[in-house]
Amino acid sequence: MKKLLLKTGLFLGASSLIYIVSVIIIGEFAPSMFKKNISYKIGAYGHLNTRLKEAKNTSNIDILFLGSSHSYRGFDPRIFKEHGFTSFNLGSSSQSHLQTELLLDRHLQKLNPKTVIYEVYPNVFTVDGVESTLDIISNEPNDLGSVLMALETFNIKVYNTLILSIYKNYTGYYDSFKEPKIKAEDTYINGGFVEKEIQFNSPSIKQSKQLTISPIQLKAFQRNLEKLKQQHVDVILVQAPINKNTYQSWENIEEFTEIMNSQKLPYYDFNKTIKLDDSLHFSDHHHLNQVGVKLFNKDLISTLNRDNHFDQMLAKDSDTE
Amino acid sequence: MLFNSIDFVIFLPIVLLLYWYVTNSSLKLQNLFVTASSYLFYGWWDYRFLSLIFFSSVVDFLIGRKLSNEANTNKRKLLLWLSLIINLGLLGYFKYSNFFIDSFVDAFLFFGKRIDVQSLNIILPVGISFYTFQTLSYTIDVYKKELKPTKDFISFTAFVSFFPQLVAGPIERASNLLPQFYKKRTFDYNKAVDGLRQILWGLFKKMVVADLCAEYVNKAFEDPSQEKGSTLLLGAIFFAFQIYGDFSGYSDIAIGTSRLFGFNLNRNFAFPYFSRDIAEFWRRWHISLSTWFRDYLYIPLGGSKGNLWLKIRNTFIIFIVSGFWHGANWTFIIWGALNALFFLPLLLRKKNRRNLDNPSQGKILPSFADFLKIASTFALTVFAWIFFRAENLTHAWKIIIGIFNSSLLGRPKYHPTLILLIIFIFVLIEWLGRENEYAIEKTGHSWPRPIRWAFYSFICCSIGLFMQTNETPFVYFQF
Repeated sequence: MKKLLLKTGLFLGASSLIYIVSVIIIGEFAPSMFKKNISYKIGAYGHLNTRLKEAKNTSNIDILFLGSSHSYRGFDPRIFKEHGFTSFNLGSSSQSHLQTELLLDRHLQKLNPKTVIYEVYPNVFTVDGVESTLDIISNEPNDLGSVLMALETFNIKVYNTLILSIYKNYTGYYDSFKEPKIKAEDTYINGGFVEKEIQFNSPSIKQSKQLTISPIQLKAFQRNLEKLKQQHVDVILVQAPINKNTYQSWENIEEFTEIMNSQKLPYYDFNKTIKLDDSLHFSDHHHLNQVGVKLFNKDLISTLNRDNHFDQMLAKDSDTE
Repeated sequence: MLFNSIDFVIFLPIVLLLYWYVTNSSLKLQNLFVTASSYLFYGWWDYRFLSLIFFSSVVDFLIGRKLSNEANTNKRKLLLWLSLIINLGLLGYFKYSNFFIDSFVDAFLFFGKRIDVQSLNIILPVGISFYTFQTLSYTIDVYKKELKPTKDFISFTAFVSFFPQLVAGPIERASNLLPQFYKKRTFDYNKAVDGLRQILWGLFKKMVVADLCAEYVNKAFEDPSQEKGSTLLLGAIFFAFQIYGDFSGYSDIAIGTSRLFGFNLNRNFAFPYFSRDIAEFWRRWHISLSTWFRDYLYIPLGGSKGNLWLKIRNTFIIFIVSGFWHGANWTFIIWGALNALFFLPLLLRKKNRRNLDNPSQGKILPSFADFLKIASTFALTVFAWIFFRAENLTHAWKIIIGIFNSSLLGRPKYHPTLILLIIFIFVLIEWLGRENEYAIEKTGHSWPRPIRWAFYSFICCSIGLFMQTNETPFVYFQF
């Protein structure tokens, strides 16, 4: 039996090395049909590469936006600037709370925000986080945090992509990669925002569905809130507006509202307050177009003003002075 | 617990180490541990149905004991019937209730009378068809005085619930497996290495061949009326590889795992797609079930003896029952009947036992004649598999008429290149290893270790690169 254990251990060691080399070779040279379980997408969409590089050179901001594509396509730093606030948008596509956790670990100290506007899209609480993990490990140099995040997603595609990404970082590919500011319909705006060419949505009926909150995501979300609390950062939870049909298709949305309310933080669900047109103000069934973004941001700023959140921020300013 | 899950990756080494290091001191302890591990393995899926396995074990153990003391033929018959009624009754209730209710309602509807009977909400306990047949074989063999009934209840429960083959076979005969529980197992290095090799090959068959094919098949057959003939034809061919990779892969993992624990299970697949006629196919496909039906149904019915009518009747009975065993659906019955139709001409012309050797024995390439026979047999099985895969008869019909039209020569909708390449490599390895118990049993034995290990690593790599990102259950779990 000892001989079997020893030989099996040796084989697994040798086999792991061969596996790593195979992933790198296939990831680098093989046609796409062989890359079923490798998804290295540096600069693929959402300008995450540019955003994360800009984040490294940004510090001491008033507002940090966190969340999914509703964040980086929904909170426009130019509008906040007009009202006198510096801000940065650290959202990414389908960003689940596991990835937010990693991004906070990497960027919170330097960005040093006074307030975080944490965009809470209900779907993000139900996902496995694979899409966003792939996005982040492809677009930022990896460290132990990436490995831990990858392990938590428990997905072979994430592991393979992480191997390839570490190799790419090591060979200097990441540093030499330059992402264009304009890609197809998307334009990157300094501060992490991505503006899409104006488009209008054709509303459609959505099938009803239940939101099944993942305990892993909920725990990561709560860890993030705790982390921000320890850094004395004010947190405001915001659900950005989406199409009425999509919003109403969640049968148990009130359960989600209860979970948000139970965090004992200011929570604003703009689907219940703002009046937007499902076609004119959206580019698809859940993303605002630029006209919608302007209306939403204006409404958000006036709501936060009304509830004195900005006064608190200014008070913090005078404390630090 | 699935063989291709992380749960099993953790479960197996723990159980194996405890088995060889802690419970190795006594036979009773070994058997008790096997039973406990098997119940944990099964209970991981649904602990409520453990009582069913335990109940079946108790019933057949007691009936076996009674049979050993009973000389009266009528009472012996009564005991056998009792076992049959209880075991098949449970199987029938869990597996076939809804089929009979729905067929009953449909039959009345056909004659214009609507009756309001609700289908029952019954969950099918995983593996019930397999362990029921395994315990039944024990009682029947004891009844026929071909097997001495056991006095050891723990060995018997270990035999019924032995986890590697509990949920999808091979269906072991008591005469093969039960005596292995009477002797203390000792660790055999070569046997264990062979077991690991067979597990690796089984995982490749399931996680690469079967699951890749399944992805294509599911897309192609979702709405056959929207697909080209070429897409549907590829779907049908890929399904043949899916079902083979899935089920024979499971059997390889089960047999390999058993070898790690010092047990020898019967072979369940012998390269069926290299068969030269349908009779040979059925000697090579799901061997444990085919021989079960042969010994306990076909031969008692008279087998191939008797007049023409009896031969036809017996052939149809065994194939249709075999189809029905797979599930309560008319598609399985038609699949069985089709195989009977393919088999009958061989039986009637007394050519059903022509191909008892390996195809093109000792040669690297098949002869042209063998190649044609293999290809035509494969084509027949692919046609029959369409019914096996279809959700209902209308769906099967849509697939068939969808294949045979002008779009058959068009470019398939989904790219099949990767799957075709994997299948080519798979068939090549299987062909080269067809004279062994499983394809890679002796592959590389004479090679230097680094090359041999590189070959096994290549299999591991292909699993990591092409497996599904979520756990996919084995097809035969539903039976």
